[in-house]
Amino acid sequence: MNATEDAAPNPRFDPVTLEILWSRLISIADESAAALLRTAFSTVVRESNDFTTVLLDAECNCLAENTGGIPSFVGMVPSAVKAMLERIPVERWRPGDCIITNDPWIGSGHLPDVTMASPIFHRGTLVGFSGSIAHLPDIGGSGWACDTRELYEEGLRLMPVRFIEDGQEVEVVADIIRANVRVPDQVMGDIYAQVAAQGICRKGLQQFLDDTGLSDLTELSAELRGRAETAMRTAIEALPDGSWSASMDADGIDEFETHIECRMTISGSDLELDFAGTSGQVACGINSVMKYTRAFATYPIKCALDPDSPRNEGSFQPVTVKAPEGSIVNPTYPAPVGARQLTGHLLYGVIYRCLAQIAPDRVVAESGSTPTLRSVYGGVDRQGHRFNQVLFASGGMGASHRMDGYACTAFPSNTGVGSVEALESVSPLLVWRKELTPDSGGAGKFRGGLGQDVEIEVRSDQPVRLSLMSDRHKYPPRGILGGGDGSHTRIEFRDGTRPHQKGRTVMQPGELLRLHFPGGGGFGDPADRDPAAIEDDIAKGYVSAEAARSVYGHKG
Amino acid sequence: MGNEEGHDLHGTPGGPRARGVVMASRARCRIGVDVGGTFTDFVLVDEARDLVFTGKQLTTSSDPGIAICEGVERVAREAGLALADIDGIVHGTTLVANTIIERTGARVGFITTRGFRDVLEVGTEMRYDLYDLFMEKAEPLAPRDRRLTVDERVDSGGTVVQPMDEAELREAARALVGMGVEAIAVCFVNSYVNPVHEQRAREILAGSFPALPLTVSTSVAPEIREYERACTAAANAYVMPLMRRYVTGLHDRLGDLGLRAPLNVMLSGGGIAALRVARETPIHLIESGPAAGAIAGAHYAGITDSPSVIAFDMGGTTAKMCLIENGEPEHATTFEAGRVRRFAHGSGIPLKVPVIDLIEIGAGGGSIARLDAMGLMKVGPQSAGAEPGPVCYGRGGTEPTVTDADLWLGYLSPDFFLGGEMPLEVAAVKAAMDTALSDPAGLDTIGAAAGVHAIVNNNMAAAARRHIAEKGRDPRRYTLVATGGAGPVHAWGLARLLGIRRIVCPLGAGVTSSLGFLIAAPATDRAHSHVCRVESVPADVVNAFYEAMARDATAALVEAGGDAATVTIERRVDMRYVGQGFEIEVPVPDGVLGPDLGEELHERFLDRYDELFGRRIAGVPAETVTWRLTASGPTPNVTLNFDDQRIDAGAAGKGERPVHFPETGFTPCKVYNRYGLGPGTTFRGPAVIEERESTVVAGPDTNVSIDRYLNLIIDLDEPRPG
Repeated sequence: MNATEDAAPNPRFDPVTLEILWSRLISIADESAAALLRTAFSTVVRESNDFTTVLLDAECNCLAENTGGIPSFVGMVPSAVKAMLERIPVERWRPGDCIITNDPWIGSGHLPDVTMASPIFHRGTLVGFSGSIAHLPDIGGSGWACDTRELYEEGLRLMPVRFIEDGQEVEVVADIIRANVRVPDQVMGDIYAQVAAQGICRKGLQQFLDDTGLSDLTELSAELRGRAETAMRTAIEALPDGSWSASMDADGIDEFETHIECRMTISGSDLELDFAGTSGQVACGINSVMKYTRAFATYPIKCALDPDSPRNEGSFQPVTVKAPEGSIVNPTYPAPVGARQLTGHLLYGVIYRCLAQIAPDRVVAESGSTPTLRSVYGGVDRQGHRFNQVLFASGGMGASHRMDGYACTAFPSNTGVGSVEALESVSPLLVWRKELTPDSGGAGKFRGGLGQDVEIEVRSDQPVRLSLMSDRHKYPPRGILGGGDGSHTRIEFRDGTRPHQKGRTVMQPGELLRLHFPGGGGFGDPADRDPAAIEDDIAKGYVSAEAARSVYGHKG
Repeated sequence: MGNEEGHDLHGTPGGPRARGVVMASRARCRIGVDVGGTFTDFVLVDEARDLVFTGKQLTTSSDPGIAICEGVERVAREAGLALADIDGIVHGTTLVANTIIERTGARVGFITTRGFRDVLEVGTEMRYDLYDLFMEKAEPLAPRDRRLTVDERVDSGGTVVQPMDEAELREAARALVGMGVEAIAVCFVNSYVNPVHEQRAREILAGSFPALPLTVSTSVAPEIREYERACTAAANAYVMPLMRRYVTGLHDRLGDLGLRAPLNVMLSGGGIAALRVARETPIHLIESGPAAGAIAGAHYAGITDSPSVIAFDMGGTTAKMCLIENGEPEHATTFEAGRVRRFAHGSGIPLKVPVIDLIEIGAGGGSIARLDAMGLMKVGPQSAGAEPGPVCYGRGGTEPTVTDADLWLGYLSPDFFLGGEMPLEVAAVKAAMDTALSDPAGLDTIGAAAGVHAIVNNNMAAAARRHIAEKGRDPRRYTLVATGGAGPVHAWGLARLLGIRRIVCPLGAGVTSSLGFLIAAPATDRAHSHVCRVESVPADVVNAFYEAMARDATAALVEAGGDAATVTIERRVDMRYVGQGFEIEVPVPDGVLGPDLGEELHERFLDRYDELFGRRIAGVPAETVTWRLTASGPTPNVTLNFDDQRIDAGAAGKGERPVHFPETGFTPCKVYNRYGLGPGTTFRGPAVIEERESTVVAGPDTNVSIDRYLNLIIDLDEPRPG
């Protein structure tokens, strides 16, 4: 319980009061998130949880975020609202206003994510802001793709501007959005879902202030941040001081492979991650803006060191993330960033490779689901209805010191898989196969989680557009501490020809695409694997008898 | 509302005893039996003599029929009846749920479409805990070596694009039988649109292996989404052999004892069905106990004229809440079974089954309080359970719990817990509170105890608020019906947090759940997925499948002893905007549907969507997904007329003791004996009213009254301005 001693707690907030107040605020953010999730058209919001709802105090400090939010958005809203305030000074924010932006550097890293914020007034005083980020069904431009050379190709970009003023839609802004996207009704539907979600936050916070009699939220948020920070500092302090480094390679784009360097330095209760030496930004939408880099560098640290505290910006105060400007992990405008997940997701691999040198029991090996493999299908079905569907599926997760990796599980994102029947019911696609791939998990004392094979056929009478966002074709997910590598990504058509792994193409009626989602890396020396576990793997067909002999030396 | 939670710490096994409950209805004698994890409860209603008898036996887990037969005989004997005089037994059980939680079911073989061997294992591909790298995942009910595939395929329009290879199917079944499977589940992709291959597979397998329990997915869950449907089929197969043995044995045994009446079962959706359902689709019984509790809640909503009720049951480990509108408990169409982390959504096996919509949270008398790494006080979901139990039980518990806090605050009496059968240890509570909470948090013992009480109430209020908000409603218009050992202790605090103005505490919280078995109507649900845009809904197709569903459902009710002439049919359809993933339920017009059906549904959908989310979205088409039907018989006309003669005589007043309330701190508070309070009694709070299974706490600024059914009603005063 060092945390409470070190924090010098504010006497106004004892552990009971604080728990009750904070739970209530998180609950408000969760109610708002539930409404957004249930009314969203965006499949990315639905299947990837790619959204967040946040309550801020009047100084843009985070009070509460929705519980189920994914790492991409940790700490993103407060800095976005600060940037909004630089353009629209605070005295010009009125009740019923709503400001919108999707600038990747202000918001959350790519154009489809729209960040919105509204002021919350209570008894005539500005007491805070409600904010949200959600991935829209479309933002125009290239659609969700990575073969872009500049940001301008990726769609409409809105710098912070009022979308709603005094409760009224600003028509010119709405018209600009409608005129630039493929599915304007759905896009506007989702923007209004965010507006409504923020309304729930506003009402909830006003009720909260009425019920509690509090007027100063800044003190409360400072106390919460302080306590979260102390918990993380306590965890970091338990690790030895020193500096460790690791690197990794990924396919990148054509001849520009991605090389990531990471140096982790621990000094007392401070932890620094420095990505100096990492590749430069590229003319392909896989650049990860600094905010996104920071989110995906800090998330694995939280999982490893302080998984139990609810998420709060304070947890990340002790963690400094540095990346050279102009690198692929800190690109400058107007770099294309549409598929920034293909780089940002990778960071955990090098970070855990550093951490494994001092705390191997806290990490997992690289995952086949890192980065996510996305294929997007669009066109017209036999009834003439337009469709646009993402195939959500994941490779296997890396193994850890105590268990095999999970088969087909996303990490560090947490994407669900839609149902095959649901996909087929709304598109002219037929999935012939979606099955685990034997021998795809990296060998080890603990085996990497298996990846999967998917086969998908176009059954429309019209060609279907295909966009691919993938990596790991050349560089597979690596094992750790003696564990073997997972399998490589493979994508091919029926005749064995391979489309570009980060490209857009067209599938003719009757064409079939095979996708292999790789397995995760193994943990520890395969020679140390329990023979009973190998027997079980053979019996269930996770590992072939042949691989058991050749990789594990199993004499079965 | 499961009785195993409601009073696992508070019940006393022993002989049945008559309660002062008198029923006026058709003269029939019926018995309700609720098999819980710890206790099996019995209620006998003798309508001719206006008597209710209750009983309790320890559950005989290895063979639950032993306790049932003993208890049934005993309660009948107590009532002076032979089993031949009984007109019906309604039965609910936690066996199905427990079998899945404990993984003690059958060796299941699973057959599916080629290419989908791993549908049960791959699942949703999500992590249910975002930060835990080492979380445990639920194992599939059939491991990979017992999952085989067959060449066959139907597309989303229902067209067969690959005929079934029947030889391969036979071969797969033979292979599974060779592996010693005890049951087989079959689930083919898109069978919800066209079940032709599943039906043919059923014929073939039944022909080859007539004795082998078989489940095809469309017979248990004919709904879209292959993972959930496959899980439901596999789970059904998993519990089928056990349930078959159990119900057949029970039927025979009760017959040997002289029972002539039908043995019926309660379904998770709250309806009563024939025993055959327990043999063929036992998975539909998974939540039968909690459903009975909700039905009982609906009954109390009716007799207290409360249109909107939250049935709130708080036991040793969990609190359950169910919304009841106009006498009907809310329903849901999915349920997650066998969670590896009990309160973590996504950590279990998702089933497509009709259930009463309950929220369950880890808040009970045994919930443990502690400080987390941030120094904040947390209560639950970890529970001290019944063993070792709270510190005050003196059975070795060392971590402070909600019950310990309630004792310290004066809500519970150390001398009258379980009616005085279990003296509580107060001194040990202080030491445990101080070590774990007060000292590290810089509070005094009272502050820590009040904190535990307040936090658990806030946890429940937050869950209730979220649930009610999702239904687009306002908590303030609800009445709280509180049951379970801890429910009446926490109801006042919970009501204040939710802005609720009235609390109803039925007499004898211990029997309320079992009463539900005898109050419920025969009812059954059917579903059929047909994804279709509103502008092209084919009324003739819908009429055809609705007719078949109604026919099938009515036949099931008749089999359960109903009368076809009195069956009521109610129809709903799940709808959404095209592109959305969440559906909302829209009522379908009665009777034969005409060509304007699509238009009518579209209007109803827009209205309902607007009601829930405050928006109408122009320009986006809407579509139907799953069409549902509920057939039900008339609700038994049971009126509880309590006979105050049978209430224990004895003084109403039990003196005073100091009790802690947030605004007043410790204050002298009147203590009442519940059994001494007759109809029409009224008094002002604060007050504590003690009964055997629980204690009712009424805070300051309340009015307490007893109605003619001996319900204790707490009305909270209008909050004072300012």
